[in-house]
Amino acid sequence: MVIGLAFVLAIGGVLLFASRATRRARQFHTASEPIHGWMSIPFIAHTHHVPASVLFQAIGVQPRLPHDHRSVRHIARELNRPVPEVIAQLQRAIDAAAQPPGGAPR
Amino acid sequence: MNEQLLAAVTQYGAPALFGIVSIAAVGVPLPITLLLIVVGSMVSQGAMDLWWALGAASTGAILGDQAGYAIGRWGGSAAVSKLSGLFGKKASLQAMEAKATAWGGPGIFVTRWLLSPLGPWINLASGTAGYPWHRFLFWDVLGEITGAAVYITLGRVFSDRVMALDGVLGDLTWAIAASIAAMILGYQLWARLRRAR
Repeated sequence: MVIGLAFVLAIGGVLLFASRATRRARQFHTASEPIHGWMSIPFIAHTHHVPASVLFQAIGVQPRLPHDHRSVRHIARELNRPVPEVIAQLQRAIDAAAQPPGGAPR
Repeated sequence: MNEQLLAAVTQYGAPALFGIVSIAAVGVPLPITLLLIVVGSMVSQGAMDLWWALGAASTGAILGDQAGYAIGRWGGSAAVSKLSGLFGKKASLQAMEAKATAWGGPGIFVTRWLLSPLGPWINLASGTAGYPWHRFLFWDVLGEITGAAVYITLGRVFSDRVMALDGVLGDLTWAIAASIAAMILGYQLWARLRRAR
C-alpha cells in the first residue's frame, strides 16, 4: 500500500518536473534573463548583449579599471540607493538599447 | 545568503568559488549548479581563467566530500548526528547507508554531479558504512571533475542564458531523481505482487 502510493507520487514527480523542464526548454532562447543583485554590470551587459559602458552610464557610475566586477548590490550600497531602483534603471537602459532610435523593437 | 555568495564569486573569482563549493560539499544547501554555470559564463567573458575555475571547483568539492566521509567514518555518532541534522532528516541516514552500500562506486560518481542533492548524504553514509576510502576517493575525484567540467562547459556555451539554463537543469535533475525512485519502487511493487500470486 505504502510502496504503491510512493510509486504513484514518484510517477507524478516525473511528469511534473519533465513537463516543467520541457516548457522551460521551449522558452530557453526567448525568455528574458532577469537581473539580480549579485550580478556585476559586465555580466548583465553580456547576458543582454549591451555594451557595459551603456549600463554604467545609465546608473551614473564610473567603471573601475581594468575590470569592474562589483555586484549591483555593492554598487547600490555605494550609491546609497535601493537595489530594485538600480535594477529598474539598468532594465530601462537595456530596453532602450534594444530599441533602435526611430525603429521598431528588435 | 545565496545572492551574497554568487556576488562573492563574480567579484573575487576562484578563491571564493573554492570556499563555497567546499562548504556545500560538506552538506550546506547552496546553489552550486547555478554557481558553476555562472563561472562558465564568466570564463566565456574572459573574467575567469578556465583552468583556475575547474581546479578551484573540483578541489573544493573533493575536500568537502572527504570531510563528510571522514566525519561518517571516524567522527563518532554525535558528529554524524549533528551533520545529518544539518541536511534536514536524521532518520534518512540509515536508508542512505543502505543505498551507498548497494550503489557502490557508480552511486558515488552519479551523486557528485547528476544527482548532486544526494551527494552529502552519500559521503556521510559511505563513511558510516565503512566503504573503502581509496575507492571512495577514486569515484569522488572522477565525479567532481566531471561535474565541474560539465556545468562550467554548459555555462560557457550558453553564457548569455544563465538563469534559463539553471531552471531547465534544476527541473531535469528532479525529473531524473523521480524516475530512479519510480523504477526502484516499481520493481519492489512488481516483486511483491509476484510473491503474493
